[in-house]
Amino acid sequence: MEAVYLDYAATTPVREEVRAAMAPYESERFGNPSSLHRWGREAAAALEDSRASVAEALGARHAEIRFVRGGTESDNLAIVGACRALCAHGAPPRLLVSAVEHTAVMAAAEHATEAGLAVYDRIPVFPDGSMDFGFLRDALGNGPAVVSTMWVNNETGMVLPVAELAAIGKEGGATVHTDASQAVGKVPVDLSEVPVDLLTATGHKIYGPKGMGILFVRSGTSVSPLLYGGGQERALRPGTEDVGGAVGFATALRLAVASQADDAARIARLRERLEAGVTASLDGTRINAGGAPRAPHVASLGFMGIASGPSLVMALDLEGLAVSGGSACSSGSSKGSHVIAALYGADDPYVNVRFSFGMRTTEADIDRAVTITTAVVNRVRGA
Amino acid sequence: MSRVLVAMSGGVDSSVAAALLAGAGHEVVGVTMKTFCYSGSLSQGKTCCGLDGITDAKRVAAHLGIPHYVFDVEEDFTRDVIDDFVAEYAQGRTPNPCVRCNGNTKFRDLLDRGRALACDRIATGHYVRVEHGPTGSTLLRGLDRSKDQAYFLWGLPADLIPRLLFPLGDLAKNEVRSRARDLGLVTADKPESQEICFVPTGDYRDLLRTRLEPVHPALEPGAVVRRDGEVLGEHAGYAGFTVGQRRGLGGGFTEPMFVLEIRPDSREVVVGTRDELFEDEVVVGELNWLLDAPSEGSRLRAQLRHRAPAVETVVEAMEPASDVLTLRLLEPQPAVTPGQSAVLFDGDRVVGGGRIVRAGAVAVPA
Repeated sequence: MEAVYLDYAATTPVREEVRAAMAPYESERFGNPSSLHRWGREAAAALEDSRASVAEALGARHAEIRFVRGGTESDNLAIVGACRALCAHGAPPRLLVSAVEHTAVMAAAEHATEAGLAVYDRIPVFPDGSMDFGFLRDALGNGPAVVSTMWVNNETGMVLPVAELAAIGKEGGATVHTDASQAVGKVPVDLSEVPVDLLTATGHKIYGPKGMGILFVRSGTSVSPLLYGGGQERALRPGTEDVGGAVGFATALRLAVASQADDAARIARLRERLEAGVTASLDGTRINAGGAPRAPHVASLGFMGIASGPSLVMALDLEGLAVSGGSACSSGSSKGSHVIAALYGADDPYVNVRFSFGMRTTEADIDRAVTITTAVVNRVRGA
Repeated sequence: MSRVLVAMSGGVDSSVAAALLAGAGHEVVGVTMKTFCYSGSLSQGKTCCGLDGITDAKRVAAHLGIPHYVFDVEEDFTRDVIDDFVAEYAQGRTPNPCVRCNGNTKFRDLLDRGRALACDRIATGHYVRVEHGPTGSTLLRGLDRSKDQAYFLWGLPADLIPRLLFPLGDLAKNEVRSRARDLGLVTADKPESQEICFVPTGDYRDLLRTRLEPVHPALEPGAVVRRDGEVLGEHAGYAGFTVGQRRGLGGGFTEPMFVLEIRPDSREVVVGTRDELFEDEVVVGELNWLLDAPSEGSRLRAQLRHRAPAVETVVEAMEPASDVLTLRLLEPQPAVTPGQSAVLFDGDRVVGGGRIVRAGAVAVPA
């Protein structure tokens, strides 16, 4: 029997419309957008049309979208670049990141601190999806600051209160970043409503190409580059632009945003079917962040009585179910997830599995996933 | 056919072991143990020893069309193997970390995790054989004596033996390499790994310096002395020496001098001539038996270091309760080294073994 892929939060296949849109820019329209001749002009036009399309899909302005190489680069550019820009005016800024950020933000925050560009702290987050705003308010107001919180948590699907946090951050004079890699196309994302200064999104989570992402930089926000070279992307991200990638990203985003409401309703039903099925057949199961507002495409389940998380995910794979333990990036590590530790404490006795759903997921997939999970958890608990 | 968990280091031997089992129709699951990382901070990334091994093992597994996973055993490995390695050198002994890893960490972990993965058999690329019979299972030396690795496996828990498969036990190294080439495995011409996997610099004293207290007697200078107390010179730290070693003692001797003994309490390294190296009695502790324990007076063969011959021996002063025995060697052997393994064989069968405590005999109570 064919294996079931329930790891769409790790990555997605490139959809056919996206491949078709990209193809000409990887063959006959191969020009360098910086060239002045017709090949260059054609490429530049496609690049700027893509930028406009992305801006429109997110409620931003054309000039506010910078194409970068994926989510990690976008997060690093936002965190390190914003801190470095503020350093130009005096002492290193406070850097406040939520305790459940992706490693791309956490590691960038640690680097910024080690490099003397910032002094960082984690904002506590609770399993009901709320954040410690008191902590944030106390930390702000004493000089420059950068605040970063993801819009949707990649391990649990929890939606964080980005709009409120951005308002508090702006009130305290901070530069506010959000990693929306798991949010765009999954929940409504409108930058004309939410006052963040910087936003990260990546193509491969929305059926677009890997290694292609954006950083939204609201007009008036200072960010220093991490790379030095030509003046591409308003000198924020030098290097010859990947026009095909930009076209692919823009197409994927447009389609994802257009069908977001319909997809969300369908996928939320699949998630509920899985959660109901697994919790009905297995005792000692917890729906992580179950009481929080959640994006529809992630179910994070904790299981009691299991010695090794990685072994559970391996065992599920061997029986034909592809999922992640925590996040795909931490799979195989025996260290527990920092996200679960932040929500439930470092001694949390549950072993956690992330199931995530997408375009091709069917009810039959869900039913098979429930059957396999039940059998494997029972076996591993007995082992 | 059953599902078999194969430990793949990324070397040619375990690659071929996996290929042979897959070719024989087993459902094979490859795993690589991640044993040790030079931890940096989150922002500096982590470099793991064996990382190249993991990459090679993954490539071989993909080529064979079998799943491959990484078992992170760093915590157990550090506690059971590295801490022990450091403590042994600090006490003037010469540890054998591979024996320790096989006995305490690797196979135990493979079995536990294998159970979760519904693998009823465990396989590795060691050059040993195992015979599964109706009355029990027996570990045997590898047919290619120049590659035989039974010396490293005496410490396995006996209850594990019935679950083990060693597909290379009947093969010679050159046959393994030629099979690897025939199968197009990327590891076919990979050189042998000789160094200890957690000593990346190749000099274990670097590891001791980072893991012992800043000033530790094992790394402080001490006297080079003869058995009669005559001082011949100074050494740079007794942790740099092992019994039988010639290097690092300084020159100017009238005849070649070898390390006979390390005395951690006085930091003395005792040296003597080649004749003085030979011993005919060995005290062995931390015993482990894969077959029934021998009794006093049993005649077996003993191997006292890797690549040394197995020599005729008589088991003396065997006291199961005390976990210590004395071996009388019918032919005296050079450089009996505390910390190394003494492995007992009955023909090709691995009876068991222990850690060498010292040369000499167990003191008989008066």
